[in-house]
Amino acid sequence: MMEVDVAVIGSGPAGLTAAIHAHNGGAREVMLLEREEELGGILKQCIHNGFGLEQFKQDYTGPEYAERLIKELEQTGVQCFLNTLVTGLSSDRVITALSPEHGALEITAKSIVLAMGCRERTRPSIGIPGTRPAGIFTAGVAQRFVNIDGYLPGKKIVILGSGDIGLIMARRLTLEGASVIGVYEIMDYPGGLKRNIVQCLNDFDIPLHLSHTVTEIKGRERVEGVVISKVNGNLRPVPGSEQSIECDTLLLSVGLIPENELSKKAGVELSPATKGPVTSETMETSVPGIFTCGNVSTVFDLVDYVAQTGAAAGAFAALFALGQVSGSKQSVDVVAGESVRVLFPQRYSFQDDLVLFIRAAEPVEKPVTIEVTPPGSRINRLYARPNEMLRVKVPKEKLAEVKQPIMVRIREK
Amino acid sequence: MAVEKRHFVCVVCPVGCEIDVIHDGSKILSMAGNKCEKSEEFVRQELIEPMRILTTTVRIQGSRWPVIPVRTDKAVPKRLFPRMMRQLRHVQLQAPVNMLDVVVRDVLRTGANLIATRTMPRE
Repeated sequence: MMEVDVAVIGSGPAGLTAAIHAHNGGAREVMLLEREEELGGILKQCIHNGFGLEQFKQDYTGPEYAERLIKELEQTGVQCFLNTLVTGLSSDRVITALSPEHGALEITAKSIVLAMGCRERTRPSIGIPGTRPAGIFTAGVAQRFVNIDGYLPGKKIVILGSGDIGLIMARRLTLEGASVIGVYEIMDYPGGLKRNIVQCLNDFDIPLHLSHTVTEIKGRERVEGVVISKVNGNLRPVPGSEQSIECDTLLLSVGLIPENELSKKAGVELSPATKGPVTSETMETSVPGIFTCGNVSTVFDLVDYVAQTGAAAGAFAALFALGQVSGSKQSVDVVAGESVRVLFPQRYSFQDDLVLFIRAAEPVEKPVTIEVTPPGSRINRLYARPNEMLRVKVPKEKLAEVKQPIMVRIREK
Repeated sequence: MAVEKRHFVCVVCPVGCEIDVIHDGSKILSMAGNKCEKSEEFVRQELIEPMRILTTTVRIQGSRWPVIPVRTDKAVPKRLFPRMMRQLRHVQLQAPVNMLDVVVRDVLRTGANLIATRTMPRE
């Protein structure tokens, strides 16, 4: 049995930042648990640039961003357990884990930070009919094969879904000599950031087909082709619009889901909208002393946002471990109102500024006002797009007198 | 050159302004749709020569992984990407390599160096 102040599960951008901030916040024994053989999480395979523009004012690639955080962590004396798979987590903050080096571990932590990230939706999550040949990959798996293992997953590639990883992989596979036939998106707007449409598709003349989906996969041993159909306003395939495309590979970039198997074991309440823990502005979950950050909480667009939640989770986890959490345990709900599909966090406990991350329900390509009531704050933005999270801050001072739930709405100006 | 109309999406920041430009090959005659002045420099460069940072991998021996990520240390002409990728097929590094080590100096005489974007210890 080991005892620590703060245990952080996962060493991607959220976990690394949380561990650094838990240390800087005064926690003496901080432990970082990582199931892979290296720190850095998914950043290691995200070799494109565009990371840390806001946080570090630098245009890093994923591995550079990770290495900067890892070097910072090395200065702190945080103990890192690699190749360590956490298998259990209880509400009284006991972690069970397995590692080839240390065997079965039992760790009691005064506070815990969940930073397990998210996983990709797969073919069964979207139910594409057809055969089950080799050659169907999620975009992130293909990214790992190309960028870390040095394999090209195919030569003639169709991409279903226009999430950012799919767009990034369209460019990457083209550079590596594969032919990317097109990206097909069931919605009538793209899933990924606009700049990725430009830099990854337009730059390489890869077509994006909105309101289209894959309705059949063909091939016995290996993918031989797919059938593409147009979809109507209800996202149902339009009969007669089928078109056969020859290809050897289908990549899926159809969304990410926070990975909360451990959170459930600890009895953490999950939000149906974000699929992550119900969280306060201090990143504390419904279980006292268990904190959450990054994509296990809700899927963010930018690593800067992930790191911001990691910093808060680490700092408040340290305060909790040191018994220095101030104030009473009162809190109010933060509620998604009109035109808001996803809202994070969902509770406010009067300890810090309220930084809201908001995903709009529908694209609005004109100026909007984000209303936070109470206290009646109105924040203007030039547009609201479901594929680009909005972030707004309401200062703590403005919220001191709030008694009822805080409603967040997006209105056209 | 005759007067030409072109459409751009600015990638300088996440707003992604849609910009309509009319130019005559030597100067911009009109520009509409951009919400700030940063787009002007972007569009001017796009009209002359679109520049991007190339990120890819090259082979490496003696390390845990068979490839290592690399990038150009500044933007290079986009049209050179296919030629650069062909040249980089022949690069083979030996571990250990440190992050920011120069892998190829002055790649295709662009003035840009190709640098490693992670540390790869010897195993």
